[in-house]
This record gives sequence, structure tokens and C-alpha cells, in this order.
Amino acid sequence: MTDKANPISDEALHAYVDGTLPDDERVRFEHAMARDAALAARVNDYFALNALFHERYDRVLSEPVPKRLRPAALRHRRAATNWPWFAGLAASLLIGLGIGASGEMHLANKSAASMAGLNDTSSVQAESTQAFARRAAVAHVVYMPTVERPAQLGASHEHDFVQWLADKLGTDIHPPILSRAGYELIGGRLLHDADGEMAMFMYRDAGGRRVTLSISHRKASTGTTAFALYRDGPVNVFYWVDGDFGYAVSSGIDRRSLLALSHDIHEQLKPNG
Amino acid sequence: MNDRDELMEHIPRLRRYARALIHNRELADDLVQDTLERALGRFHQFEAGTDLRAWLFTVMHNIFASQTRRAAARAHYVTPDDEYAGLAEFAVPGAQMRSLEMRDLDYALQRLPAEQREVVLLVGLEEMSYADVALTLGVPIGTVMSRLSRGRERLRNLMAGAQPVEKLKVVR
Repeated sequence: MTDKANPISDEALHAYVDGTLPDDERVRFEHAMARDAALAARVNDYFALNALFHERYDRVLSEPVPKRLRPAALRHRRAATNWPWFAGLAASLLIGLGIGASGEMHLANKSAASMAGLNDTSSVQAESTQAFARRAAVAHVVYMPTVERPAQLGASHEHDFVQWLADKLGTDIHPPILSRAGYELIGGRLLHDADGEMAMFMYRDAGGRRVTLSISHRKASTGTTAFALYRDGPVNVFYWVDGDFGYAVSSGIDRRSLLALSHDIHEQLKPNG
Repeated sequence: MNDRDELMEHIPRLRRYARALIHNRELADDLVQDTLERALGRFHQFEAGTDLRAWLFTVMHNIFASQTRRAAARAHYVTPDDEYAGLAEFAVPGAQMRSLEMRDLDYALQRLPAEQREVVLLVGLEEMSYADVALTLGVPIGTVMSRLSRGRERLRNLMAGAQPVEKLKVVR
């Protein structure tokens, strides 16, 4: 029988079971239990349930973690569902994984500029452009290992994905074809963070060398810039701005090959080019 | 790769909770995998210095909740795996009850509405405070209390219906 003037609340009952009832209330509660067999039985059962949970499920704690839940495997599963998945998912950019801000090297590369046939407009908003290059480098390092050629990368998937990207970026977009240099398109995704959206196309050659092309719709048009090189650890990034869009080509391949590839990409992406 | 190392430490507890929540081993690990992958993809949203475990449970809850919503239209979300091959017999009154207490628990838990199951397990198994459960699930603390109250009572009745009440007694 509970004390009518001071009934035991449901809240107190559970707090007692879960060990969060303050001392004085606990004493009062135990007195109430001594007078009320039904209450005592209920408390006893609730205790028993908690004990059963542990008895039944604590064994999972000592099970070895299956392979598919280990870090290396976590990357792999994403890969299997590249186009269809990322198209709908628009994953967020992972900052700071495995690549730091060290080793920055900003080159107004004159020879690159002349090769690309661009006017060197010097450092137009160099800072934000370089931030874009850094994002591209980070994205290359973070996402590239997760990309493997999906079992059936159908032409329609690719078409849908490219169409979807074009809508997102607000431009007609076509991934350049790099087969002349031996690179094949193997995947793509859209990243977004505070700086806006960035489309990525990933390529790979027969030797497993990887190249990522990043395209970002810039908030403010900044005209056109020369090629610049940004280097982050083992990753080189050639990047440039053309009107509303920033482009970055990231890879661990040597700088000369990357520059040639960038030139090819630039030609293909030029309006009416 | 500190982020990944830190995540690794929490995998056993995430798995324990998922197993109790879903009880099919493969599906439970699927949930853990989805949770880890989403957490890795959104690590920048995690505020350093706050409770990583609580954040991971929040991520897991969000995935579980959306799966549950999607599955609501389908008849059977949970299918017993080999370990629980004998589960169907529980549907038959008067089936053999010997030493099946643990399976009863699996079964009874699955009979709880998902939202009550989550609260009962976060409190009873994960030993989270009511306030942390409220944060994890994104609901007011009063909602936590009412789900806990209904969930525990329902679970108690389910267990009592499956076998003599004496079996529930635990020395404490």
C-alpha cells in the first residue's frame, strides 16, 4: 500500500531501479516497497530485466569485430555502389583526414599558363582559390581510395549522374575523356561544405594511378586565372579558374604528366572547345 | 588517422546495442556499419571535446529510425538467422519452455515498439542517464520517461506470459 498523501511516482520508481534516486528519497521508497508487495514485485522485475540485458548481450562486447566493420573495409563497401549511390547521397567533405595544410606551394606557373593558352591575370582572389585547391587535394586523398570500378557501371547510370551533377552545379557538364593518356572514368560524387558544392570525377589508369578532377561553382566570378600548382604531401594539384567555375586536377603522379593531363582537361572543358 | 582509431573503441558497444535492438546478427552489424560510415563522412560535424559515444549513438538512432519508418510498410523487417532458428515455436502456446529464457528476451524485445525498445535498452543496457537518452533520441525527457515506463511494463508482461515469474527473480 502506497502512502496516499505521498504516492510513489512512476518517475521515482524508475529512478530507483536505475540508481539515480537521491538518498533520502531512496529510503522513503524502500519503506514504501516494504509495505507494498506489488510495487516490490515490479521493482524486482525491472531489476531483473536490466540484469537479463547484460547477461544476454554483454557477450557481444568480447566477440571479435568482424572484418567488414574495420576501417579498411568501411571504405570498400562505399565503393561498390558508386554512381547510383553518390548521386543520391551527396556526401559531405571530410576535412583533415590524412592530409594537412603543410607543404603548401603556390606557383604562378608561367610556362603552364602559356601552355594552356591563358592570360596570366595574377593572383585574383588567390586565397579562396587556394582553399579550393586544398579541398580538392583533401578530397582526392580521402575519397580516391574508396573508389573502385563498380561491377556494372552502366552508361545510363553515368548519364544520370552527370545530368544530376549538372543540375546541382547549374552548368552543362561533361566529364572529359582522358583515354588518350590511359585514364578511364571510374566514378564521381558531389561534395558540399561551407564553401559550396564541388563535383568530383575520378579516373584511373591500368597501372592503378589515380587522378581526380574537381569542379566547383564559385560564388563570385573572378575572371580567369593561370594554372597554379598546389602541393600537399604526395599530392599535386593543378588548379585554375575560368569564369564562374574553379577546376582542380589532383593526383600523386609526377608533375609533368599531371600538367599535360590538366592541359588536356582544360581544352575539353573550354566552352565551345 | 585518429578519428578512425577513436571510432574503433566504440564498435563493441555499438554492436552490443544493435544486437539487442535488432537481434539478427547480420542486420545488427549492417546497422553498425552504416553508423560508422555515416559517422566517418560527417566527422567534421562532431564537436571535439564532447562525448563521441553519445554522438555515435545519435547517428545510429537516426539511421535506425529511418529504417524503421521505411520498414513499417513491409510486413517482416526482422528475420531470424540460424542462431534463432527455433524462434517460431514461441508463437505456439504451450510450446516447450525449458531454459529458453534468453530467447524469450530476444523475442519479447522484438515485440516492443521500436521507440520503447530503444529507451529501455539505452537505459537498461547502455546505462545512459535519462538526460543523455533524451539528447540521443532528440526527444524531451518526459517522452523518455513515458517510453521507459510503458516499455518496461510491457516487456515485463511479455516475459511473464512466456514463463513463470519466478524465473525473473534476480539476486541483487
